[in-house]
Amino acid sequence: MSGTAAASRKRLVSREPGVLARMVRHRADYLYVAPALGVMLLVIGYPIYDTIYLSFFNTPPSLALEDKTFVGVDNYIRILTSDAFLEVTVNTLIWTAFSTFFAFVLGLGAALALDKQFVGRGLLRGILLIPYVISAVAAAYIWRWLYHTDFGVIGAIAVAAGLTDRPINFLDNTETSLGSLIVVNVWKEFSFAMIMMLAGLQTVPEQLHRAAQVDGAGVFQRFWHITMPHLKGVTLVTVLLLLVSNLNSFTIPWIMTAGGPAGSTDIWITAIYQLAFERIRFGISSAYSVIVFIVMMSMGYFYVRALTRRDGARYG
Amino acid sequence: MKSRGSRGWGIVRVAFLAVLTLFTLLPMVWMLLTSLKTQFAASQYPPEWWPKNVTFEQYSLLLSPATETGRDFLRYMFNSVWVSLASTVLGVIVAVPAAYAFSRFRFPGRQLLFYSVLLRNMFPAVVFLMPLFILMRWLHLVNTEFSLILTYLTFGLPLSIWLLKGFYDNIPAQLEQAARMDGATRFQAFFQIVMPLSSPGIIATAIYSFILAWNEYLYALVFLNDKSKLTLPVGLQRFFTEYTTNWPGLMAASFITSVPVVVLFLILQKYFVRALTEGAVKA
Repeated sequence: MSGTAAASRKRLVSREPGVLARMVRHRADYLYVAPALGVMLLVIGYPIYDTIYLSFFNTPPSLALEDKTFVGVDNYIRILTSDAFLEVTVNTLIWTAFSTFFAFVLGLGAALALDKQFVGRGLLRGILLIPYVISAVAAAYIWRWLYHTDFGVIGAIAVAAGLTDRPINFLDNTETSLGSLIVVNVWKEFSFAMIMMLAGLQTVPEQLHRAAQVDGAGVFQRFWHITMPHLKGVTLVTVLLLLVSNLNSFTIPWIMTAGGPAGSTDIWITAIYQLAFERIRFGISSAYSVIVFIVMMSMGYFYVRALTRRDGARYG
Repeated sequence: MKSRGSRGWGIVRVAFLAVLTLFTLLPMVWMLLTSLKTQFAASQYPPEWWPKNVTFEQYSLLLSPATETGRDFLRYMFNSVWVSLASTVLGVIVAVPAAYAFSRFRFPGRQLLFYSVLLRNMFPAVVFLMPLFILMRWLHLVNTEFSLILTYLTFGLPLSIWLLKGFYDNIPAQLEQAARMDGATRFQAFFQIVMPLSSPGIIATAIYSFILAWNEYLYALVFLNDKSKLTLPVGLQRFFTEYTTNWPGLMAASFITSVPVVVLFLILQKYFVRALTEGAVKA
C-alpha cells in the first residue's frame, strides 16, 4: 500500500502526468490523425499481419484459402534453400547495385552541372525530369521498341556506326537482358538523384567556395573538401531511397521481359508476383514477401535515422 | 568567378549536359516519330529515320469514340482521371488534419506514430499485394475503382503528411493564437490563417499524389480484370497484347498516356520538386 501511495505521490510531484492521463487529456488531438491512421491500419497494418500469418501456411493453388494447412517455417526453409532464390537474389543485387550506382553518379553530375545560373536552366531541369514523371509502363514499351531485334533503332545505329554487322538481340539474350534493363531503369530514375542533389547543393554556403578560391583551391579540391562534406546527409537519403525503389522494382522488368529469358531478369518482386498471381501460391509467396520485408525494414531504420538526426531539434 | 582551369570545366559541363539531354530526349523523340508512321513504315530495316508520310491515323484510332479501340482507350483515360483525382482529393483531406496535429499537438505516441508513417516509404509494395487483394475480395471491392482509390490514397499519405507537417512547422503558432484571441475558433483560425499559408504544401502534395496514382501499375494489374474498369498503364499493356505488331499505335498510346502528367509537371515543376526533396535536405 505504502508503495502505491509513494508512487502516486511521486506522480503528483513530477511534472509529467502518466501516459494514460495525458492520452485522455489529449483525446481530441487523436481525432485529427484518426482518418489517416484508420486507412493506414486497414491498407497497411492489416496486410502486414496477414502476410506474416499466411507465410506459415501451405495454400492450395486456388483462391480457396480456407483449405490452407499450417506448415510452420517450411515455406521459409524451402525458399532459402532453393537454387532459384539464390539466382533471383543475385539478379536483384546486380540490378539494384548497378542501377543505384549509375543513377546516382549521373544524377550528381547533372546536379553539379546545373548548380549555376544560366538561361534555360529551369527548362533543362524540367526536360531531364520527364522520364522520372512518365509512367513506367510507357517507358518500358518505348525502350522495348528501341531494343527491338528486327526494327530497333539502337541496333540499327550500332550497325550504321560499324559497331556490329547485324542487329543486336538485346532482350532475348541472357547475356545482355539484365544490362539492357538496367539502362532503362537508370534513364528513368537518374533525375530523381539529380533533383535531390541539386537541392542539397543549395545548402552549401557560397562564401566557403569564394574563400577557398581566394586561398587558391582548385575546382576539384573545392568539390572534395567543401561540397562533398555538405552533401553527406542528402547523399545518404538519396542512395537509400534509390536502393529501396530498385529492390522494389517491378514494372520495367515485368513489361520488358517478364523475368525472362531463362530467368535472367527475374528479381524479387517479379518472382513474388509470379508465385502469387500466376501459380496462385499465396502461402509461399507471403513467406517470400516477409523475407524481402525484413531486408527493407533494416534499411528503413537507417532512413528514419538519417531523416531525423538532422531534424533532431524539431522532432526530438 | 574566373579561375585557373574554369574554362576547361565549363566545356566539360556543357558537353556532359548535352549528352545527358540527348540520352533523356532521344527515346521520347523516337516514340513520337514512330507514332506518326504507318505500321508498314515502322517495320523497315534500316529504319525510316524521319517519317516520309506523316500520319495521325493512330491518334484518331485511339481517340475516336467511333471505333472499339477508341472507346476502350477513352474509357481507360476517363478511369485514370477519375481514380487519380479522387485519390488525390481524398488524400489531401485526410493528410491535412493529421499533419496539422503532428505539427501542433503534443499527444502521447505522436513520435511513434509519425515514424511509422515515415517508415511506410520503405515498405515493399508487394508485401501488401496479396493480403490487400484478399481484403478487397472480402470487401467486394475487387474490380471496382474504389479499391485503387483507397490504396493510392493510403500510399500517398506518408509523404503528404511529412510534407505538410514541414509547412505547418514553419507557420508560427502565434498567428493562430492571435486570431483565437480575436475570437476565432480553432477551425476558423486553421481555415483562414494556416490553410492559405500552407497552400504551396497542399499543391505539392496534390501533384505528387496525382502523378503517383496516374502511373501506378502493379495494384491496378492485380485488382482490376474487367476491361471497362482498367486504368491507362494496364490499358497500355492490354493494347500491346491485342495488337502486338502495331508499334506506331503503342507509341501513340504511350505518348497520350504521358502527356497529362508531363504537362501538369512542367506547369507545377517547382511544387513537384519540393515534394520530392522536402525533408531530405534540411541542413
